[in-house]
Amino acid sequence: MSEAQLATRRHWSAQRERGNLLLMRFTAFVARNCGRRLLSPLLHLIVLYFFLTGRRARHSISEYLERLAAWSGRSDLRPTPRRVFAQFMAFADCLLDRLDVWRGALRLEQVRLLDSDGLRAQLLATRHGGRGQLLVGTHLGNLDVCRALAELGEQVPLNVLVHTHHVAHLNRLLGEAGEQRMRLIQVSELDAALMLDLSQRLERGEWLAMAGDRVPLHDGRRVTVDFLGRPAAFAQGPWLLAGLLGCPVNLMCCLKIDSRYEIRLERFLDTPAWQRGQRDATIAGWAQRYADRLAQWCLLAPQQWFNFYPYWESTDA
Amino acid sequence: MNAPAHSALELEIAQLVIDTLNLEDLAAADIPPSQPLFGDGLGLDSVDALELALALQKHYDIRIASDDKDARHHFASVASLAAFVASQRAVCAD
Repeated sequence: MSEAQLATRRHWSAQRERGNLLLMRFTAFVARNCGRRLLSPLLHLIVLYFFLTGRRARHSISEYLERLAAWSGRSDLRPTPRRVFAQFMAFADCLLDRLDVWRGALRLEQVRLLDSDGLRAQLLATRHGGRGQLLVGTHLGNLDVCRALAELGEQVPLNVLVHTHHVAHLNRLLGEAGEQRMRLIQVSELDAALMLDLSQRLERGEWLAMAGDRVPLHDGRRVTVDFLGRPAAFAQGPWLLAGLLGCPVNLMCCLKIDSRYEIRLERFLDTPAWQRGQRDATIAGWAQRYADRLAQWCLLAPQQWFNFYPYWESTDA
Repeated sequence: MNAPAHSALELEIAQLVIDTLNLEDLAAADIPPSQPLFGDGLGLDSVDALELALALQKHYDIRIASDDKDARHHFASVASLAAFVASQRAVCAD
């Protein structure tokens, strides 16, 4: 197998794309027709199966725990089979919660909002004019925070930028679930038309959201930063967009702490801009700062790291 | 230096290039209309192109379609950009 093929196989999109789509269909179906009590044992069995058969996923989580323990100096985080398994179970739990979110069973009142920068007020303010902003999310914790945010923003449209090709299908699923405010937009590559579209959405007061912790497979725009003490490739995409669109950037994550969800919102960049000639260095600086913040969040909920693929630049190849 | 004469639109676009990309040490008349914007010419790259495309679309109220195979050609120089903008404005005026 060539190096390129190997890289493709190792990439998250190779293993998650199909599974995610099936899972969302399944979740939407179950969300409409049955409840958590019925699904819980089944889902845990499925996750057990993935744990037993997913050698790469097990290794990846083990590597993550190893790095986190070394970086933080907390030996209680070092990987053991039990801790790695607990990570898979946390994922099952997260999926069940997503089901509740989809059913509308997890109400906003049950979620704690940590928003010291007053971003929700800014989100709500765009209903009455003003420009939208960019939200950068993560696969640490529950990504369906986006849907909760759509609710937080009440009538403010939220555009989620994704790399998947299944956008039309997923938008239909969202529509069936009665979701009017959230739209998925495919961004496989930045081009002039997309930039104009996104820029116009911001001008209309719509907000944009995207994940900051996964690199697209066919996009060379990535930057190597230090994450938990080792070099890892991060996407340049969110930071490029921010600089091109000149909009404020905020970080968000949704962690389950003591069986309660906490949505964290914080301002990251007020007016992203770069000096020509300094662009790459500026973007690398933002990406590094993001990775540093992500590392701190990992310590808040070590088990909720849901990137089940090799994350760091290969040490095992 | 004997720079070739700019049309009004070419000067305007050269100024837009300078303002958008913060090329403060240049004046619009310093960019010859036929000088390549990318590579050996002015040395712009693909991100500059995105920045420029966004500014052009906003400023002239035109659209650059994502499947436009000629986009690279349009962005070759100030002169080709001026020709493209003129043609797009004619289309939009119809």
